[in-house]
Amino acid sequence: MDPKVAALLAAGFCMGVGSIGPGLAIGNLVGKALEGIARQPEAGGQIQTAMFIGIAFAEAISLYALVVAFLLIFVA
Amino acid sequence: MVVLEHFHQKVIIPLRIGSFDISITNLTVSMFLGVGIFLILLLLLAARPKVVPGKRQVVIELLINFVKKGIVYNMIGPKEGDKWFPLVAGVFIFVLANNMIGLIPGTYTPTSNLIVPLVIALIIFFTVHITNLAKNGIKGYLRTYAPSFVPSWMYVIVVPIEAIGAIAKPFSLFIRLMANMLAGHTILYVILGLITYFKNYFIAIAAVPFALVMTILELFVSAIQAYVFAILSALYIGEAVHPKH
Repeated sequence: MDPKVAALLAAGFCMGVGSIGPGLAIGNLVGKALEGIARQPEAGGQIQTAMFIGIAFAEAISLYALVVAFLLIFVA
Repeated sequence: MVVLEHFHQKVIIPLRIGSFDISITNLTVSMFLGVGIFLILLLLLAARPKVVPGKRQVVIELLINFVKKGIVYNMIGPKEGDKWFPLVAGVFIFVLANNMIGLIPGTYTPTSNLIVPLVIALIIFFTVHITNLAKNGIKGYLRTYAPSFVPSWMYVIVVPIEAIGAIAKPFSLFIRLMANMLAGHTILYVILGLITYFKNYFIAIAAVPFALVMTILELFVSAIQAYVFAILSALYIGEAVHPKH
């Protein structure tokens, strides 16, 4: 197989597999945040702020996969 | 690839000093524009402060309270927090201004380049390690890599993990900011570039609302990424100033 073709296939695979983890993580995170807000609506502001920080962390992991995909497409 | 040619820099005024190339590119113009607009806004809001605040002063007090009590005092503690507030606030406003300026069509987002987030992350890296060394001495600095609640036989595992973490934390700070800004703009260019690719205006009925939603999401993501950068910097500085062992 041509190395360029293999690199493009790998980039697609990398991005696909690399989105499973963060997707599950963000779903769980928002679910638990909603449960927390439903139990105690007065703490809603703090829970929301903490949820956003958690989402930014989880999103960063999927962006590591994006960087590897970019490296595969353009540098190999 | 035609899509990524928007991410190349265009030189506007070439300048050289010796063998250093310090031309004015569109990155420079965007950075100065973004930071300049923010500076003029903040100076106008903070002009003529009174003890009983008027409407303009309330806005800037809100912003300063947000950074001071929400970020610095939360992570570093009230006593040391006053010393570190200018650095964290400067990082926050700089990253926020540079993220937001990319939303204006025709400008370049400085934080989507490789260099700008790397330099800010390196500043935080050196600040954290030098503060750790200066405040806790060399024994205290080595204690961060070998915390005392770990039994001695686990040092073989924990010390390499902590050492890799010392490199990985600022690296993740840099990659998180750069990749978020790059990804937002790439999605926008690809979606709107579909109209040019198919050479058909009917694609615009689907593409333009999607691009509008992505732009709103990107406004949101710029603000959140600036906040996460600032709060993580404050967290690392807090760990260096008050080591938890």
